[in-house]
Order: sequence, then structure tokens, then C-alpha cells
Amino acid sequence: MTTTIQYILSGLAIGGIYALVALGFHIMWSAARAVNFAHGDTLMLGAVLAVVGVDTGIPLPVACLLAVVAGGVFGVLLERFAIRPFTATSSSIGWMLTTIAVGVMIESLATLQFGGFSRPLASPGVKSAVHILGAGVYPQELAIPVFALLVMFGLRLMQRHTLVGRAMQAVAHDKRAAALMGINVNRIVAFSFALASLLGAAAGVLVAPVIQVSASMGALLGLKGFAVAIIGGITSAPGAVIVGLCFGVMEKFVEGYISTAAREIIGFSVMILVLLAFPHGLFGKREVLKV
Amino acid sequence: MRYLAPVCFCIFAAILVAVPLTASNEYELRLFMLFLIYGIIAVGLNVLVGLTGLVSLGQAGLFALGAYSGAILATRLGFDIVGCCLGAAIVSGLFGALLAYPTVRVRGVYLAVVTIAFGIIVENVAIEWQSLTGGTTGLSSIPKPNILGIRLSGFAFYGVLSVTLFVFTLLIHNLKISRFGRTMLAVAQSETASRALGINSTGLRTLAFVISSVTAGIAGTFYSFLNSYISPDIFTFSDSVRFLLMVILGGAGSTFGPVIGAYLLTYLPEYLQQFQLWQKFAYGALLLVVMFALPRGIIGTLKWGFDRVRPPAPVPDAAEGLPVETTLRHEKKALAAELVATALTVRFGGLSALSNASLRVKGGEIHALIGPNGAGKSTFVNTISGFYRPDEGRCELDGVELTGRRSLDIARLGLARTFQNTELFGEMSVLENVMAGYDQRLTYGLLQALLRMPRMRSEERECRRTAIGLLAFVGLSQYANEEARFLPFGLQRRLEIARALAGKPRLLLLDEPAAGLTAHEIDDLEAMVRRIAALGVSILLIEHHVDLIMALADHVTVLDYGQVIASDNPTAIQDDPRVVEAYFGAPLDRADAVEAGA
Repeated sequence: MTTTIQYILSGLAIGGIYALVALGFHIMWSAARAVNFAHGDTLMLGAVLAVVGVDTGIPLPVACLLAVVAGGVFGVLLERFAIRPFTATSSSIGWMLTTIAVGVMIESLATLQFGGFSRPLASPGVKSAVHILGAGVYPQELAIPVFALLVMFGLRLMQRHTLVGRAMQAVAHDKRAAALMGINVNRIVAFSFALASLLGAAAGVLVAPVIQVSASMGALLGLKGFAVAIIGGITSAPGAVIVGLCFGVMEKFVEGYISTAAREIIGFSVMILVLLAFPHGLFGKREVLKV
Repeated sequence: MRYLAPVCFCIFAAILVAVPLTASNEYELRLFMLFLIYGIIAVGLNVLVGLTGLVSLGQAGLFALGAYSGAILATRLGFDIVGCCLGAAIVSGLFGALLAYPTVRVRGVYLAVVTIAFGIIVENVAIEWQSLTGGTTGLSSIPKPNILGIRLSGFAFYGVLSVTLFVFTLLIHNLKISRFGRTMLAVAQSETASRALGINSTGLRTLAFVISSVTAGIAGTFYSFLNSYISPDIFTFSDSVRFLLMVILGGAGSTFGPVIGAYLLTYLPEYLQQFQLWQKFAYGALLLVVMFALPRGIIGTLKWGFDRVRPPAPVPDAAEGLPVETTLRHEKKALAAELVATALTVRFGGLSALSNASLRVKGGEIHALIGPNGAGKSTFVNTISGFYRPDEGRCELDGVELTGRRSLDIARLGLARTFQNTELFGEMSVLENVMAGYDQRLTYGLLQALLRMPRMRSEERECRRTAIGLLAFVGLSQYANEEARFLPFGLQRRLEIARALAGKPRLLLLDEPAAGLTAHEIDDLEAMVRRIAALGVSILLIEHHVDLIMALADHVTVLDYGQVIASDNPTAIQDDPRVVEAYFGAPLDRADAVEAGA
């Protein structure tokens, strides 16, 4: 029983990270029909910069804030210079390759600067564990899924009640029509990438105290975030969060009862099987083809 | 130009023969053999990237799968190198199909993610399944390569590798210039138009990925023999990036580009080794530079430059073309292409775009479908041609049920269509566009295409001649070699009609063919539609231009708010008060009601 609770709680923590990353993919895809394949590295940047910031003596909250902002800037720059030039034709794969290229470069740069070793970020959230039904978790771990849910509801509120949120929905629906209505599509796309990257970097800062921070941490977390977005249906924000949390819990159980290698095998196989049975994801809508 | 490809293949063969004779030591030869292996991967990956425009970032995973399959077959079952390659090809091909099919039917982008994930699955299975793969320590003591028990010397193994690369390059070149290469390019440029021409986009994409999987698998087997040791950490994500970079750098879609890319990226690390940690960074930077400075790759850029300086290729002689009267005419028996749509209802959310709409196009007639903007005309066309599913009702062509069929199957049943916003294969030539439309009439298969068998050649000749005839029919002969996207709008519309006709349809749906045309072009269009009808093709014409309809149509159906409000001969329609009301508004006392409805 205690083990079960333990798995669920720590699964929700890592699942919250997947959810945040998947939300970022959802936001980028909706805006541009393209995503940043280096989104995992945005997360890594957030975590690494927070650690580096604390190392140089900046107070923890300030360091975290700066790291998140830097992640956001990274996303905006990438959209402007690596993605936008290649999204003019819908069949272009250029943006995929340029963002992958930047991801590879950032990761090896971070390896050079940060070294090959892993370090945690010291945070008050992991000072002492709390006990729930016998299972011990850090407050930090409990905060992550809550944060992911808050972001999901916040996003929804923004899309319903603010001008920029409505503009995002309009752009997601039909870029050309949105432009004709006087919406500055480029600015909305840039805003969406900024938002997605802020969430990605925030996920990195949040997860940094819980797992080890390293230059290579982004690749797998980013990929799993994308897998979650695909399973949830990339057009659905609630899908991303719900699937993300479930995916995290499932991973902990597989890891606990079988092995870490089995965790990756089963996790990604689930994605392929879901695609086979539900081509548009569990919560995604079928996009009506306009001809 | 005709002899360019054979000459290049001869040079390629000469290089492959010369290298072992000039290699000064074993290390040099070994490095060249590594290049041959990478070349096999790159040439196969080129089908996916260069033709279908999809990206795989899991080639290292498939490479590993092939390496392990080959190594296990050799060490456990004592297979020779041919058996190992076959086994590896089958295993990786099966996994390729399993990965590609669910993925590419939704979004091409997903393939990149799924393939990365597959790479990780393979790596972890290799770690976990210790009894078979040796876990993290890997498999060592892989025997020296042999064929039927005869051990291959270093040079003989070199021969096997170079012949394999040469043959694969040749086969894939053949594939590229066959119906498969043409339709793969078409699918990459417009999936919508491909479906309307009866081209199976999911099937082609899956095929492309299976080809790139099989080649990666075979290359993997060769690698395990060359290295005689494999472990899970040899096959990493950055290798997948490197394989992709080989294709892009050399020139995606070109025959020899991937070979050149593989060569450069096999030897480049030798020079980069002094930089150690910067090596990965260099791959990323190189990919970025290529994407911005050399997006066509080396060969693609050379070809582009070459095309600018040499005189344009002569347009095919119109006399080579087959007259449309012989290529499109249907036998009398089949003349009665009759389309019957019964009580079609299509809803989008709460909005009924079509409600209870019925229509009957009699065999051989020109039937016009008119109605104000938003009346549901386009929805009607899209429903008949299988792009939308009706919520209620059904339609059939000559008694064959169309409802529920995929649009590509409907196209193959003899229903062709054009698009309101033209959907051409923009980067293909005008002639190739029409040849892509002919695809559903070709019967030769993959093997015939790979080996360029006589049947393939004769069918291709027939296809080309029919296409040339069709271009003459629509008056585009002189533009045959132009890229379709550079045609003026009016000519693009004509090209789309020629492409739709190439499949020898029994019924042609023209979706607002006169929109955006000048008065003169509309006159030409009128004459053309008449000539098409004279060939025995039934026509459903969706139009706004009243003059055109009155001049052409045998029968007119009027839609308004998704409902059929009248269906009669043109003169009766002109006088019908309901039609007049739909177009010009109601008499004053009912105007309010109409406005509220709008």
C-alpha cells in the first residue's frame, strides 16, 4: 500500500513535468503547425542556468526567475530565426532540422561548460520530506503536478477572457483569416513560443531539485513530453496534462516492478500503440481538411 | 543529359574498383568500408527524406536492430552473410512498417518523434534482453564474414560492400524515376491532390520508410561483421542526426548526393577528432549551415547552377503524344456514368452545411450545380469525392456505393475532381503533374520499377505519351517542362483539368473552374468542357458564372442553405422564382426574414 502511494506521488511529480513540456508542444503546434524540437533543451537550460546562478551567488528565487526568462528568450529567438523562415510552405521540414541542429549545439555547449557530471539544485522544497499514508515525498514534488494543473486552467482562462488568448485561438484555427481580421500573426506565434518556452524552462527549474541536473537531461524529458502530447492529441491542452500525469505514474510503476530499461520500452511502445488505435490521440480532435 | 546518369554510374563503379588497388594500408581500406556502410544507410534514407519529405531520427535504431539481428543469426545459428542480411532486412523491414503505418497517416511530423523513441526502445531492449544481446557488454566474437561457409578475405568483403552500395544506388535511382518516385514527390507536395488522384499517400510513405529501414538493417549487419563487436552504446541519437545530415548535405532527392554526404561525414570525424568534445557541436553547426546556406545540398546546388547556364530542355514533340480521343474515350457500354446522391446531410458542429440534398447526374450530361456563396456547393463536392463523411444519405456511381469509401478509392472508381483553390504539385513539371494523374492506370509493381523491366518501360512510355496528348488538348504543350507553380493562374486551372483527365475518369467534378479567369479564358474553358463531354465523360460543374452555365449545362441544380431548391433545365431554372429569390433576395415584404437567416 505504502509502495503504491509512493509510486503514485512521485509519478505525479515527474508526470507534472511531462505535462508542462507537452503543454508547450501543444501551444507551439497550435500557433505555428511547427514545434521546437529543442524544447527539451529549453528545459535543460532552465535547470542548468538556475544551478549556475546559485553557484555565482545569486539568491535562489532570483536565479530561478532569470533562468526561466532566459529559457523564454531562447524560445523566441529560435522561433524567429530557425522556425519562421521555414514555415512558409506547409510541407517544409526545414524547421525540424534547424531546431534539431540548435538542440544538438546547445546540448554539447552545455556539456562543455557544465561538465559531464550531474548536480541537484538546492531548494527549500526538498529540505524535509512529508509523509502521506506512509509514503515520503518532498513538498517540491507535490507542487509540480499542482503547478501543471494551474497552468492548464490558467491557459484556458487566458484563451477565453483575454484578447491575446482569443487571438491565439484564432491563429490556431486559421492563420490567414486571423491575419485578415487584423491580428498580427507573427507576433502571436512569437508570443506562443515565448509562453511555451517559459513553461519549459519553468519545468526545468521545478524538476532541478528533484532529479539531477545535467546537460543531457533535456533530451529524454523533451521526447517524453512530445510523446505525451501525441498520446493526448496535440490539439488538446487538457489531454496533455491528464496524459502527462498518468504517463508519469505508469512509468514509476513499471520502473518499480520491472526496471528502468523496461520503463522506456513500455512508455514509448504505449505511444505507438495509441497512435495505431487513436490516430488523433486520446483527446485530440480530427482536423477537418479544407479543400 | 540523357547519358548523365549512366556516365555517373560508370564513374562511381570505377572509383569503387580503384580504391582497394590504391589503398596503402588496411586502416585506410577499413575506413572506406565504413563509408560504404554509411552510404547504404544514406541512400535508403534518401527515399524517405528526398522523395516523401519525411524525417527519420531513428536510423541509428534501425541500424542497431539490423546489427543485432545479423550478429545473433551469425553467432547463434551460424548463418552466412547473405542469410544474416536477409534476416536483418526482414526484421528491420517489419519494424519499419509497424512504426510507419500508424504514424504517417496522421502527421508526417510524428514520424520524427516516433523514430527517436524507437531508437531508445531498441537501445533499452538491447540492454535488458541479456540472454540474447549480451546486455551492456554487447556481443563480441562475431565470426568473420562467410558465404556458404567460404570465408571472405578483406578484399572479398570489400567487394560485397561495394557491390551492395552500387546496386542499392542503382535500384533507388530506378525507383526515383518510376511511378513510385513521382507519386512520392506528389504526396510530399500536396496530400489532398494526391488523394483526389487515387494515390495512396499512407501506403507510399510507409513504403518509403520500409525501404529506408531495410537498407539500414542490411547496413547494420555489415557493420557487425566489419567490427566483429557490437554494444548498445555504439548506436546513439547523434548517429541518427549524422545519417540525416549525410542526406541533406549531399542533396536530398538526388541519386548520388547521399553517397557524397556519407563520404564527407565518414572522413570529417577523422579531422574533427582533435577537437574531441566539439565534435557533436560541429554536427549541429554543420546541419544549421547547410539548412541556411545550402538547402539543396551539394548535388542539388550543382544541378541548380547547371540548369541555369545550359539551354532549356526542348519541350516534348506534340506529335509524340497520343490523341485524347483514343486515350480517354470510354467504350459505349461504360458511357452511362451516372452519379446519384440521395438525401446527403453534412453537419459541422451545429451547422448543417448540407441537409437532405439529392442530385442525379445522368450519363454523359453536363450537370451544373449552382447556388449563392455558402450554399453548400463545395461541401457537396467534398462529400461526393470522399473528403467529408456525410452524416446521413448516400451516393453512388453507376450503382457502386461511394459513401464510406476513401477518396483515393473513389478516384479509382472513375471520379476525378479539380479544386477551387488549385492544388498542383508546385515543384514538379507540368508534364509530371499530368503523369502523376495517370498513376492509377499504371499496373506495374515495385519489382518491375526497381529493375526497370520491359513492362515498366512500355507503361511509362504510354503514360508519357498520354500526358503529352493531354497537354496538347488543354493547350499547354509549350509549358511541359516548366515548374507548375510558375504557370499563370489561368493555365494552372487548365493543368489541373488535364491532370484530372489523365486518370481516364467517367465523371469529372469541376469546382468553380472559371473563378479568377478572364472573359477570354472563360470562353476557352467553355469550349474545353464541351470537348471533354464529347469524349463521353459526365461532368458536374460547380459554378457562379451564369452565362457559362446557361451555355453549357444540360441540367441545373440549385442549392441554397444546404438544400436543393430547384433542379431543371437551364431555361426553366432562369425563370424559377425560388432561384431568383436565392440570388437576388426576396421581395420587400420578406426581406427581413432572409436577412435574419443570413
